[in-house]
Amino acid sequence: MISKSPTFSNPTCANPAYAGGPGFPARAIPLSAILLIAIAVHGPLLLMQLPAGSYDANTHMFFAAHYAQHWFNPWNEKWFGGFSQTTYPPLTHQWIALFSHIMGLKFAYMFVQLIAILLLPIGMYRYAALWVDEVSASYAALGSIFLGSLSMLVYQSGQLPTTAAAALTLNAAPFFYDWLLRSRFLDLLKGVAIAWAAAAAHHVTLLFGAILFAVPVLVLALLDRNAEEIEEDRASVGGVLGRAVVFAVIAIAGVAIVLWPFWVALLKNPITQMPIPHGSRDNYILKTFSGINFWIIPMGAMILALPFIVIRGSAERRLRPLLIGWYITALLGLGGTTPAGKILLGRAYQVLTYERFTFWATIMAMPFVGLLALELIQRFRMKAVVGLTIAAVATMAASVAWIEINPIASSPFSVDQVIAFLNRDDHAKFRYITLGFGAHFAEVSTYAKAGSVDGDYNSARLLPEMTAYGAGQLYNAKYYGLAGMESLRAVLKHANQYGLKYVFVRDRYYEPLLAFAGWREAETYDNGNVTLWTKEDVPPAKRLEFVGFTPTPMEGLMWGILPVASSLFALFLVLLVPERRRVSATLEFPVRATVEPVLLREAK
Amino acid sequence: MTKGSIEVKVKFGGMMAIALLLMCCFAIATHAAEINVPATVPAGSGLTIPSSGSGSATLYVAGPGTAIKRTVQLGREIRLGADELQNAGRYVVSLDGNTATFFVTAGPVQSIAFLARPSRVPADTPNVITGTAFVFDKYQNLVLQPQPVKFELTANGQTTSRTETTKNGVAFAKLDSSKKQGPAQFVASSGPASVRRVVQEVASDPCSIRMTAVRDKNGILARTDPIHDCAGNPVSDGTIVTFTSTDAKGKSTVDARIRQGIAEAELPASNDATISVASGVVVGNEIQWRGGQ
Amino acid sequence: MKRALPILIIVLTAVLIAMATIQPNELTPATSPDGAVRALFDHVKARDYKGAFAYVANSGDTEEQAFAADLAGRDGSLRTYSSLEQADTKVLHASDNEALVRATLQYATAVGAFYDTRDLKVVREGDRWKVEWPVVQEANVPPQVIQENYLRWDVITRGSNDDWGAQNVEAPRVRIISMNAIAQGANTIIVGEIENEDTVPGFVSVGATLIGKNGDVLGEETSFDKISHTLLPKEISPFRIDFPKTPLATVKSVRMTPNSMLVPASADPVIGVVHQRVETDSRGRHVLKGELINESGVTVNIPHVLATYYDGAGKVIWVSDGYVDNALLPQAPVPFAVDLRDDPASNVHNYRVTVNEYMLQQDE
Repeated sequence: MISKSPTFSNPTCANPAYAGGPGFPARAIPLSAILLIAIAVHGPLLLMQLPAGSYDANTHMFFAAHYAQHWFNPWNEKWFGGFSQTTYPPLTHQWIALFSHIMGLKFAYMFVQLIAILLLPIGMYRYAALWVDEVSASYAALGSIFLGSLSMLVYQSGQLPTTAAAALTLNAAPFFYDWLLRSRFLDLLKGVAIAWAAAAAHHVTLLFGAILFAVPVLVLALLDRNAEEIEEDRASVGGVLGRAVVFAVIAIAGVAIVLWPFWVALLKNPITQMPIPHGSRDNYILKTFSGINFWIIPMGAMILALPFIVIRGSAERRLRPLLIGWYITALLGLGGTTPAGKILLGRAYQVLTYERFTFWATIMAMPFVGLLALELIQRFRMKAVVGLTIAAVATMAASVAWIEINPIASSPFSVDQVIAFLNRDDHAKFRYITLGFGAHFAEVSTYAKAGSVDGDYNSARLLPEMTAYGAGQLYNAKYYGLAGMESLRAVLKHANQYGLKYVFVRDRYYEPLLAFAGWREAETYDNGNVTLWTKEDVPPAKRLEFVGFTPTPMEGLMWGILPVASSLFALFLVLLVPERRRVSATLEFPVRATVEPVLLREAK
Repeated sequence: MTKGSIEVKVKFGGMMAIALLLMCCFAIATHAAEINVPATVPAGSGLTIPSSGSGSATLYVAGPGTAIKRTVQLGREIRLGADELQNAGRYVVSLDGNTATFFVTAGPVQSIAFLARPSRVPADTPNVITGTAFVFDKYQNLVLQPQPVKFELTANGQTTSRTETTKNGVAFAKLDSSKKQGPAQFVASSGPASVRRVVQEVASDPCSIRMTAVRDKNGILARTDPIHDCAGNPVSDGTIVTFTSTDAKGKSTVDARIRQGIAEAELPASNDATISVASGVVVGNEIQWRGGQ
Repeated sequence: MKRALPILIIVLTAVLIAMATIQPNELTPATSPDGAVRALFDHVKARDYKGAFAYVANSGDTEEQAFAADLAGRDGSLRTYSSLEQADTKVLHASDNEALVRATLQYATAVGAFYDTRDLKVVREGDRWKVEWPVVQEANVPPQVIQENYLRWDVITRGSNDDWGAQNVEAPRVRIISMNAIAQGANTIIVGEIENEDTVPGFVSVGATLIGKNGDVLGEETSFDKISHTLLPKEISPFRIDFPKTPLATVKSVRMTPNSMLVPASADPVIGVVHQRVETDSRGRHVLKGELINESGVTVNIPHVLATYYDGAGKVIWVSDGYVDNALLPQAPVPFAVDLRDDPASNVHNYRVTVNEYMLQQDE
């Protein structure tokens, strides 16, 4: 899986002082060891099902549960009275669905998340090797396991598709680079295949992340185009740019085909939602909690490396594209702390959340961190090893501890009784909503047979009562102000049409509206934490017809085959079609003057 | 082949067919005679079936909610236990390829399912209480034979009774509610079986409402006399009585609840007000309030 | 580049952070009357009552705590379930030292939108304008004992162990005693009254289906919150069912479906509606005004006023409703006002106000 690092072009790598110099360390950490460490670190946390309590994990499991039962029918009637799952890229959900038949839904989620985590150091190893030497790249890969931003995304946000897509994008970048310089068809094929799979995992990563990762690599390829020792092997600017265009065209065409039903659904139902309040859009200085949650904790000990990143990134010509790419990404990751996001993203700024930009920024910073680690180890040896280990472990430990100290649900509660109620007798004949349940709503809907009028994915909504008001989920209606409450009123008003009989309430704020609207408190669960309100004159739910929005059988077939096929194709190419490795590497001599003087001090 | 030979063959074939038919009929007749069961059997009484022949055979009995398969010795009596013939209806017995049918009939009345409707009725209203009785034997078989059922309604010491005969196991009666409100005991009985239901007889709409008004520390205290329906029953507590006072400042209304037969409300102080009272669609007297006069 | 780039990055970052972080002083003095009102309500919107109080002129008369309680609500009232969403201001008249500013406020509340209009006097104090906040006299309920006999109904329904014939308690008899279909532009509105004719409380709702000329269903709606759902014996509630975008001319018939259910209920609280009168407000609209008095000993947290308007023949011609954002403390009068549309206003001969309520402590 690991491609050869571009030895012909990387002066840092060519430095004998880095590549083993006088003793410590002599060689890169083997990737197998890094993967074992990744399993050792994240495996127990995943076995404990820590992500199950995250914001979005239940939503992804909900999608996966549908694929597990209806692989070729993306129309899911359990949310919004019916919605198309083609509104969200399916790859990770479909893999969970496949594994769920063997190990159950929750463990399947954990397993796919583990795969995404393992793909990250692999991708990092390959990506960092574009910029720095192999030893530093191995440190970067090792460090990526302990990223606070990764832990926050996995264990707090539950953004499996983001982490999977980012890891795949990292894996695609080296093939993109190799294709630009060497114009080998196999590199092109592997690069675009992984890019397709990344797009099938997460569309936002495709739209924003890929550009942030790809442009620095393109500039690097332009800088490195003359590094080949044989003149005819050297690439021209036009050639590199032309190949970049070819790569982009094929990647976009492939993504268009692989996610064809997604684009169809997007065209039919464009995303016109109102800005949803999110802490990552806060000014982290003015709102300290958001600052800690979305920047301090995700960055962790990497904050100490920021001066090095800026100084070293500026000093070396080859690292400048990465520095600038990282800087822009990091600025976006600061959310509302700077106006950069609003300026660069325009209206999209209010739709996106920015913890993923911080994640990408930390990933892009890892080659620098690997370089720093190497230099520290060269200089301070065991002390540096101990210090770096502590910094890495503390970063990850702090993020996991932070999640435990600040759980997403202020008072944890059990939804088992709610699910049991919906699944017994004929209660599933009616629809339900939950109010004040937060992320637990998706858990209820995953395991309950009954359908809901509410849902957890705004882009998929079709009911006029929800689309007419710029509000998000009904279970969080009060947080959307008037729009949210008016949307909730409109849905409750049409309860009889939708067969909406049951309302589970975990926030007394909603009780006055229910009481005035004709619902009555019927049962109490979880020691009074949750109350059930019912309306007696509601007839059983009927199937709602959304003419024109239901995916066609052909779209269902495409959706069931192409995304998973793209990932299998990428796997096949990377694992079973070997690369032609260079057997020799050219070392520059004499050593270039860009080497830091610190190494000379090391020699004394 | 000649015409004569064809005719002979047809005749021979016809005779063979007749002979086979006769043999079949004889065989069926002789075998059918082997299961001898009565036409009807009372539920829960058991049945003895004589059998002939020798060796063992399989007995099948199929009836309502019953399916029995048993290996029996031919030539001995076959006993079906009381617990095996509890459900009334048609049973089919099959033994060694022979079949017979009999009916299990319901036993004497042992229990009643009694539907009394409605659960609340206005007092002093004719033909307003309906009782429907279903009679069953001790095995919950509907007793289809006509049976007398006595319907008895007791309210405030007065008893009304009527006896009806069941038809297809069901008896039905319509009775008047009594003049006085209160819980009425509605009993249906047949033989040893008796079931009691309670029908709440409640007051009807108020017949008339009369109120008085006095000045009190906060304004005007309007109070009704005890409110009764036209049969003299006090109207139920909790019934809404609306007091309305109209003066130069506007209209004031209080939806008071009857408590212990009386409704009262505090209306704002006024020197010149018209006070009226109503409950539902029944309107009471009106008071012209002149500074407490 | 080696040195310039880090400096550029550091400077650019500092400038960008400063742009987003350094904001004008939040308590900038207001230089215009409506600016003062806007600034006050901007702080209220952010729930910064201390900041809002800085724009109050008569701060000597008004306590900050009372000011905050007036805006944030108390006693579990609807205001405590509200957040100010929008405040529009309009200067009604102004002189050099004094102005009258109308603030039209839109709140997001637990029951939906709530609109409030306040005409505020704004005075100049030196070089700044400040709002004279009307001092709200908090209802002072004297210590007292209010006798309650806790009249209530409980229901024991048929159990699973009861024999087949055991009767269940029946739903109360309810009857729609009047109904009227009204055209309002392109909308059809059904108004009417429903009575609980039984001797037990009922939980009622009314549904309506509009049938078109061809016998097709034009729409199905319910009374939702435009009705008192819990009706005590002989209690009458108005109801209103709105059918948006369904012209009355297309309607052939209306199918009404009253529903009732027997529920446990309490006879409390008793709420008197006093001094009801139809007036014209400062904006020239007809409003039905009055005061609510809670004659019981428990606090009613959210009162909901339903007004029924009748023509000379006693026919229901309109039903309007409104939530009151103050809680009803025992014996303390609280004003209310509900809108009355102009077109039925001229035909209104009589009206009736009923009050629906939500109580936080109702189970105690």
